[in-house]
Amino acid sequence: MSKMVTPAVSEYDDLLVQRKKQKKREDRKRCLPLYLMMLPGLIYLIANNYIPMFGILIAFKKINFSLGILQSPWCGLENFKFLFVTKDAFIMIRNTLAYNAVWIVLDLIIAVFIAICMAEISSRRAAKVIQPIICFPSMVSAVLLSFIVYAFLSVSYGYLNTTVFKDNPVNWYATAKYWPIILTIVHFWQNAGQSSIIYMASIGGIDKSLYESARLDGASKWNQIRHITLPMLRPMIILMLLMSIGRIFNSDFGLFYQVPLGSGLLTSTTQTIDTFVYRALLQLNNISMSSAASVFQAIIGFVLVMLSNLLVRVVEPDNALF
Amino acid sequence: MAKTKAPSIRDERAFHNFALVIMTLLALFCVVPFILMISVSFSSEAALVKGYKFIPMEFSLSAYKFLWLKRATILRAYGLTILVTVVGTAANLLLTSLFAYPLSRKDFKHRNLFAFILFFTCLFNGGMTASYIVWTQLFHIKNTVWAYLLPGSLMGAMNVLMVRNYYNANIPYAIIEAARIDGANDARIYTGIMLPLSKPVMTTIGLFAALGYWNNWTNGLYYITDSKLYTIQVYLKKLMDSIQFLKTSDLTNESAMLAMQSLPTESARMAIALIALLPILLVYPAIQGELIKGMVVGGVKG
Repeated sequence: MSKMVTPAVSEYDDLLVQRKKQKKREDRKRCLPLYLMMLPGLIYLIANNYIPMFGILIAFKKINFSLGILQSPWCGLENFKFLFVTKDAFIMIRNTLAYNAVWIVLDLIIAVFIAICMAEISSRRAAKVIQPIICFPSMVSAVLLSFIVYAFLSVSYGYLNTTVFKDNPVNWYATAKYWPIILTIVHFWQNAGQSSIIYMASIGGIDKSLYESARLDGASKWNQIRHITLPMLRPMIILMLLMSIGRIFNSDFGLFYQVPLGSGLLTSTTQTIDTFVYRALLQLNNISMSSAASVFQAIIGFVLVMLSNLLVRVVEPDNALF
Repeated sequence: MAKTKAPSIRDERAFHNFALVIMTLLALFCVVPFILMISVSFSSEAALVKGYKFIPMEFSLSAYKFLWLKRATILRAYGLTILVTVVGTAANLLLTSLFAYPLSRKDFKHRNLFAFILFFTCLFNGGMTASYIVWTQLFHIKNTVWAYLLPGSLMGAMNVLMVRNYYNANIPYAIIEAARIDGANDARIYTGIMLPLSKPVMTTIGLFAALGYWNNWTNGLYYITDSKLYTIQVYLKKLMDSIQFLKTSDLTNESAMLAMQSLPTESARMAIALIALLPILLVYPAIQGELIKGMVVGGVKG
């Protein structure tokens, strides 16, 4: 700046420039502590989020660890080609999408049903006890969940094989066809309470006088639900549906990997993209397959999150993420 | 108009009762598996051979006696879990609030740029494989305690934005300006005003972070192979693995037989699982209100 100030400039201008410079210096001095405060977080974001973003390049390389990742030769889309000609790719994408599609719809129906029932319980004390209980399963880790499920499904001592299936015990951890049902039950056992919370809060926010006047007009409970509660929940339902679109290529790794105890015999119904990424990386040591699958998931995920947010912005602008 | 009020009231009462019955059944459905676990842990091995039951057929403390014998291993894993939970939660809260404060300052010129850098991590990530390679090849955290603390959510973008919004909504800018005029620097404003005034949101985030660290087992799965560094969740996971492995291997093999005998019995395994659950079980009644509030906020935004 100072170079541009010619001697011809009046003293007044000179003063102005100096003031500006001083202010800038002051600004910088004032903001320095703020930068310092953000530094740990920034370093963490770079290490945990931004460097791995460049790790996407691994999926386009033929990794040779003796050369190192940076020196390994490029191979274009070869890793993806190898991945998508396998049957694994079809199975994991089908499973991820199918479980998500069915569960998004069931989740919604069950969560709204629970929320409506909770609102109908006339004894507040009973409701106050029931709500934490039905939310408790979501506090349990996937490892503990696998112990609980094992108590029911263990081949020799499990509750099911020694009671209901006493006469013809089932080898649960080796029979893939039962797992869509088992995982669905476990999923809802763990998540139903938690996912209903949001609808309970919405119902709590509905103006009570609407129900009062409906009652005076003689509307039955069923009609009140159909014509007041459900329409009032509609924006929230649509919002939750749209947001779940963004996560449709993701799955609960713990549920799909640990609850079936990582059993290789069950992959036809329990393999999702997340479990494949883990298995390929740490069990098969196949970095190219693993990174191709994980990059595929990351990129599709990005597109879907953008899409779902776009839709949310159209329908419910207040709730859009950005 | 033909309808009178009387049937409506009866209809309402029926609805209330229906809802109460359904919800009670659901609550039972949620509780029953835990009862099975507890019952198995208090059963004698001889009785368990006939199958798991909801009420112990033969009450026995043998599982807990076995745990006492194995206390060195279990206490070590337990201690590490506590350490990871405490340090992780504290670091999480510190990083989150430190990052949120400058973002909330209206006179901070680049706050939108940094908010975007933060928020972009919610939209896009490099995927698990890239993350694994970066943490192991670049930062060498395999088989160190850092593996439990760093990869994943030491500082979640959504949490930072939640705290920033809380600052903006609940702490008037005038207070900060007044403090500055009185000569307080940013460190003083952060520790003296922002932290004490944002207790509610910090409590919620802290509880979820603590729960996350306590329950985390995937970091152990990816980065830990050294049995000295097992947390209780990883210990349980490896226990389940070895049992499954031995079940599928040839049990006439002498070494497999020996290995099987040294493993905890069915009841002891459930007892260890219960001990991992115990802290959550104990604090849950006190913190459930906070958690449920947090679920409402977290449910809408990501």
